[in-house]
Amino acid sequence: MVANYVRRIYTNFATNIIDIPPRLLALLCFFILLVFPVTGPNVLLLYVLTYTNLIAIFAGSWDLLVGRVGQISLGHALFFGIGAYGTALLYKFYQLPMWVTIPSAIIIAVAVSILVGFPSLRVKGPYLALITMTFPLIFVSAILYFKQWTGGENGIAGLPSFFSLQFFVERGFSYSAALYMQKVSEYYMTLLLLLVSGIIIYKIANSKTGIVFVSILDDELASKASGINTTRYKLMAFAISACFASLSGAVFAHILTSIGPGGTLSVALSFLPVIMTVFGGIGTIYGAIAATFIIQILDLYILTDLVPIPMEWHPLIFIIIVIIFVIKWPRGIARFVVEDVLKELSKEREIEERGKHVWKKYKKKKQEATESAPED
Amino acid sequence: MHLLEVENLTKRFGGLIAVNNVNFHIDEGEIVGLIGPNGAGKTTLFHLITGIIKPDSGTVRFKGEDITGLEPHKIVNKGLARTFQVVRPFRNLPTIANVLVALRSPRGNKKIEWLKTPERKAMEMLEDVGLSEMMLEPAENLAHGDLKRLEIARALATEPELLLLDEPFGGLSPIETEYLTKSIERMHLDGHTIVIVEHKLHALMKLARRVIALHFGEKIAEGTPQEISQNKKVIEVYMGKSM
Repeated sequence: MVANYVRRIYTNFATNIIDIPPRLLALLCFFILLVFPVTGPNVLLLYVLTYTNLIAIFAGSWDLLVGRVGQISLGHALFFGIGAYGTALLYKFYQLPMWVTIPSAIIIAVAVSILVGFPSLRVKGPYLALITMTFPLIFVSAILYFKQWTGGENGIAGLPSFFSLQFFVERGFSYSAALYMQKVSEYYMTLLLLLVSGIIIYKIANSKTGIVFVSILDDELASKASGINTTRYKLMAFAISACFASLSGAVFAHILTSIGPGGTLSVALSFLPVIMTVFGGIGTIYGAIAATFIIQILDLYILTDLVPIPMEWHPLIFIIIVIIFVIKWPRGIARFVVEDVLKELSKEREIEERGKHVWKKYKKKKQEATESAPED
Repeated sequence: MHLLEVENLTKRFGGLIAVNNVNFHIDEGEIVGLIGPNGAGKTTLFHLITGIIKPDSGTVRFKGEDITGLEPHKIVNKGLARTFQVVRPFRNLPTIANVLVALRSPRGNKKIEWLKTPERKAMEMLEDVGLSEMMLEPAENLAHGDLKRLEIARALATEPELLLLDEPFGGLSPIETEYLTKSIERMHLDGHTIVIVEHKLHALMKLARRVIALHFGEKIAEGTPQEISQNKKVIEVYMGKSM
């Protein structure tokens, strides 16, 4: 019995059939992110990247649900918001430590996702998108209604952060150095979180369960006719997606130490992963994560700090960029890089290798011919 | 006890009666043909048996158990699989993954031998239908004949006791038809009971031991291929009334 389960889990994750991961490229990008804080004290970029790490988890979780299962959710901020508000409210009323509030917030979000998903996953396509879009709006009105508990529009402030300033000050750092150390620690923590959740999401997407997910995206009726309980798998995808979205929301609350409905439940936040995923390549988890970094750095660092352009113009610029990319590389920038460029390169190398081989053979033959020539 | 019993099955689409009071049964180890001109209700009958459409009245019994109106995936997990007339592969998935989906279903997963990975089993299933060379090719790159065979491999992966094939020869070349006929015979020898819908009679007559003829949703004849090919009603339906 137990052996059967172990075997089932092992065979679920044993091989990659859907696509071959760009391991080397991912490792390189991760290495760049790893050594980045050493290069110089750039607090703003550090802050932006910490936030980006969390949004990348959020975008990856959305890509698993929409790119791999085809259940379009335009209200994914609901789970981000539940993660953030769950941990904040639990802290505010019960003063529980973080390692209790964050997992509880995730469990609440998963429970809500099943509760919400059970009726709404029965409708398909644009109808599902519209239904999911309303959920964060309902949650926002609930927050505004129960003002005495949730703080209404002002939100909840004074949440504990992961690394206290005092800890660094006591160890002999000056105040500004301690602040930097705190930001660096937070950055590394979120980076580690992104790495772990990214790998988990990617592994799930490429497991046997992930294959079933894609079968639902392709043809739900045929999937049912193959004996798959599609409702169960769709709910499972919804729950996994909600789990990672709420994780990013909960961690976000403790990094910002104050939350409000504007930052965690806005319609803009719901549409953020849509832009990332379409830009990066829908259905490739790494594409969404990579695109998040490109767009967020462009938005929050390059266009605000290096080449200051008024905030109001940013959406227009992104729309132009995304439209250009969608027309030029409709399968996404990640697929373009990984599948077209890298494959082309490896093909060239292969040809070169084969060429070398042929050249060697040719040389050998020639040598043999010259050796045997004098005997004639 | 019969393997499959269909009693008084009726389905209406608005004013049109697609399947009208059909009764028949299928015994274990048979190959049964289901014929009829276009619009006779053959595919609708398959949809009703496999739960894709719910019948208005009547019952379907599989191994003595009432399965009328159950969800399609539950019926498949009881051991009754089907293929589709219009191929429905998972186009984004590689060919082998198409079979792996069916191996992921509770019944398919249970039937995998101990110490055999699902991949290995899927490879064997693809080899049986002659698709092992296309294993890692996305299903959208396969030719129509290959997709028909892939459909059958996917249905077989759930280890059905009764296999319903909806026009397996549709759009195949004579060579492919012959190849498929042989593999259906082999499946029959492996112990699968098979029902084939077809309106090309030639291929069917070779395979089936018993043929049921439908017309406008009603059963008009039943018997051996020889009896059916001489049945007046069937000839009338196919050729028109003699003057």
